Amino acid sequence: MNSGFRALHPVTLFLFYGGLLLCGMLLFHPVFLVTGIVLLVSLIIMQKHAGTIVKMLPLYLLIGIAIVVINPLISHRGRYILFYFMDQPITLESVLYGVTMLLSLTLILLTSLSYNYNVTTDKFMYLFARLVPQSALVVMMALRFVPLLRRRLTQITLVQRTRGISVHEGSLTKRMKDGMTLVKVLLVWSLEEALQSADSMKARGYGTTKRTAYVVHRMDRRDRWLTACLSVLIIMIMIGGALGWGRAVIYPRMQSMVFSMQDWILYVCFGIYLLIPLIVEGKEWLSWKYSK
Amino acid sequence: MAIMEILQVKQLSFAYPDEQHQVLNDITFTVHAGDFVVLCGASGCGKTTLLRQLKPELTPVGQIGGTVYYNGSLLNELPAHQSAQEIGMVFQNPDNSIVMDLVWHELSFGMENLGYSLPVMRSRLAEIAQFFGLEPLLYKPIHELSGGQKQLLNLASVLLLQPKVLLLDEPTSQLDPVAAREFISMVYRLNREFSTTVIISEHRLEEVIPLADQMILLEKGKLKYSGSPREVSEQIQQNNLDHTQLLHNLSDDFKYLPSVTQLFWTMQTQSTNKDQRIPLTVREGKQWLQTFQWNHDREVNSVIIHLLTSLSDVEAIKPSLAKEKIVLECREVTFQYEKKSAEVLKKLDLQIYKGEMLAILGGNGAGKSTLLQLLAGLLQPRRGKVKLADHIKIGYLAQNPLLYFSHDTVAEELSTAAHYAGVTEPEVVIAKLMKQLQLEGLEQKHPHDISGGQQQKTALAIVLLLNPDILLLDEPTKGLDPLAKIALAQQLLDLREAGHTIVIVTHDVEFAASYSSRCAMLFDGMITATDVPSTFFSENVFYTTAVNRVVRDWLPGILTAEEVLKLWHAPDSG
Repeated sequence: MNSGFRALHPVTLFLFYGGLLLCGMLLFHPVFLVTGIVLLVSLIIMQKHAGTIVKMLPLYLLIGIAIVVINPLISHRGRYILFYFMDQPITLESVLYGVTMLLSLTLILLTSLSYNYNVTTDKFMYLFARLVPQSALVVMMALRFVPLLRRRLTQITLVQRTRGISVHEGSLTKRMKDGMTLVKVLLVWSLEEALQSADSMKARGYGTTKRTAYVVHRMDRRDRWLTACLSVLIIMIMIGGALGWGRAVIYPRMQSMVFSMQDWILYVCFGIYLLIPLIVEGKEWLSWKYSK
Repeated sequence: MAIMEILQVKQLSFAYPDEQHQVLNDITFTVHAGDFVVLCGASGCGKTTLLRQLKPELTPVGQIGGTVYYNGSLLNELPAHQSAQEIGMVFQNPDNSIVMDLVWHELSFGMENLGYSLPVMRSRLAEIAQFFGLEPLLYKPIHELSGGQKQLLNLASVLLLQPKVLLLDEPTSQLDPVAAREFISMVYRLNREFSTTVIISEHRLEEVIPLADQMILLEKGKLKYSGSPREVSEQIQQNNLDHTQLLHNLSDDFKYLPSVTQLFWTMQTQSTNKDQRIPLTVREGKQWLQTFQWNHDREVNSVIIHLLTSLSDVEAIKPSLAKEKIVLECREVTFQYEKKSAEVLKKLDLQIYKGEMLAILGGNGAGKSTLLQLLAGLLQPRRGKVKLADHIKIGYLAQNPLLYFSHDTVAEELSTAAHYAGVTEPEVVIAKLMKQLQLEGLEQKHPHDISGGQQQKTALAIVLLLNPDILLLDEPTKGLDPLAKIALAQQLLDLREAGHTIVIVTHDVEFAASYSSRCAMLFDGMITATDVPSTFFSENVFYTTAVNRVVRDWLPGILTAEEVLKLWHAPDSG
């Protein structure tokens, strides 16, 4: 369950995804983006949650097609005109720009999929709690309420239906009134119980002295090492990106896609960056394979 | 050498601000270090208020008289952090006392509050998690745990602060019997192994009283009896001599004793050895009965004759039931919540006859509540059919009465319900219902401010306004004190008399044995046995009443102390 890349310290994981998001926005070059996508998809497959990609595929296709089609229709910048559509010139540049935009979006989307799998809510809360302990406590308590209130509302709906209070039947005004009744039952009940939660907090000494925090995650040597590597790579990519490397020039006129020396340096950095999780996963996989 | 007195309560009284009524009145008792104290009494007698007086953070605002000493000094002068650590409190409802979303976080919450350092927290957590077997659950979201696990988590989270005194306010009232027993045995273990002083208020006295060093019975804010369970039992007997001589019914105070002890006092005759130890458990009860003079010819004969006649009554009931009209029927009902989840009910067949009171028993998670919701038409079976006879209306009462309340007063609640039910002359009907259910005087109270039993009756009134022919009740005895249970039973019997058919699902073996007309066992998604209570329970070894377990070798079909009482004294009159 919690092994391989997933088992890294939340700080390291958070850094990785933050950096990746930055790359997705900074490196506007089809080759970079395709490399990123391929490596990220490999990671997702290695971590065996490819199902999440399949699940969002329909929505993704819809957005993707829209971007690829709409951009050339509204943007007529560029030199090479491919054909005319309803008297509108369709340029090679605008088509390519649409595709690159789509790739960039894909990378960001995949990043968020992988992030959701690896950085679970409690890991995020852990990071958050170290920054702002008091607000984190409130947020954590609130988080508990979301599923709790939903379960309660289901129960209330079921029971109230037996006495004719339901949002599924009757006139619109009746439905609205009944909906309000259901919410009122939920609120009165929950507020009442919140008072008891407050007692339980008081009984366990809440507010008597300055709070400390129990920490479940420990940063080990590997975490420190990888954090350092990732930081160096991110800084290099940021500098390179700021200097305009790794960015395809499309407008106003398409330039050659061939890499310059600087592009190559950046490409290697980016490649290593994305290979890190794959290496971590791969080592884990090998150790299991040969331990049998 | 005297054992240290950890708590001394002297002439304690308490009243809420601006109220004349004394919730606690002149209470004096002493608790020694390492004692296991059971606090009992009807709901609303001041048990919770008393416990809160022993925990300074939770003492409500009001006029307090008298004093409480903790370890020889005044309790309310105890520093806040010391009180938080040394006096732990576990509450009634496991869900409400939880504040975090993950198990480890809930456990560490108290320690974080008191500013413990990380190494201390780690070692304590490791220790407690092992002791409670919580290790596999540490990283789980709390809402995935069962009620019993949640309550153990609450207990563990309090124990991490290493309290000297543990206060428990009806901790098992929301749990099923198996989880409750587990919880109580854990508390007992803490008491024995770490000499933690325990003060527990409870309704499940059958299990707790035999463990107690001291038993305190409150009545209307006053201390009525206190002492060891045997002493209290004798005091009750002394106090109620006149009543027991009437021999028709045991007086109310006896209901707080284990049923074996009730049985003991019921069967008191001249010939009983005065030195006989009062039995508290089934084992002691059986040992006592073995020394009992069963070969007392006249008595034994009459008992046997009586038993035979009562058994033949049973035989007579069966065919007459079959002739009764079936009002609701399950035919091969199969149900599962989700496509991939397991089947909760499997081809279940069940007939419900007009005018009966059917009790459906079954273990935890056997699908009892699901079955009831299917019967009520709230869920649809995946396969099979729930068939309702023509012109029959169903009323369904859920386990949690709070699901029904949306108004500020009981009266409003009922009049709105009457409006929805389309009752003509609502005032008359409501007044009659309130009288019948003994809800008078509560009209202007907020539904959340009344006791659990009263809330349940209010919800029952809401359901009854729909004028149902069949009443389906989910765990109606949950969290009720012994007297409230008897009152509920009487009301259910009255409703049955008035022509309602009643179906209850329950864990409460004693209740089903005493008041139902037929019992059904739900196991593995099917109804495995149905019969009248005396036959149904006498065939079970574990799943039967404590009295039956004691007397089964001599009187196999007898389930309750009341039945023994009737048998025992009937020959004298006839």
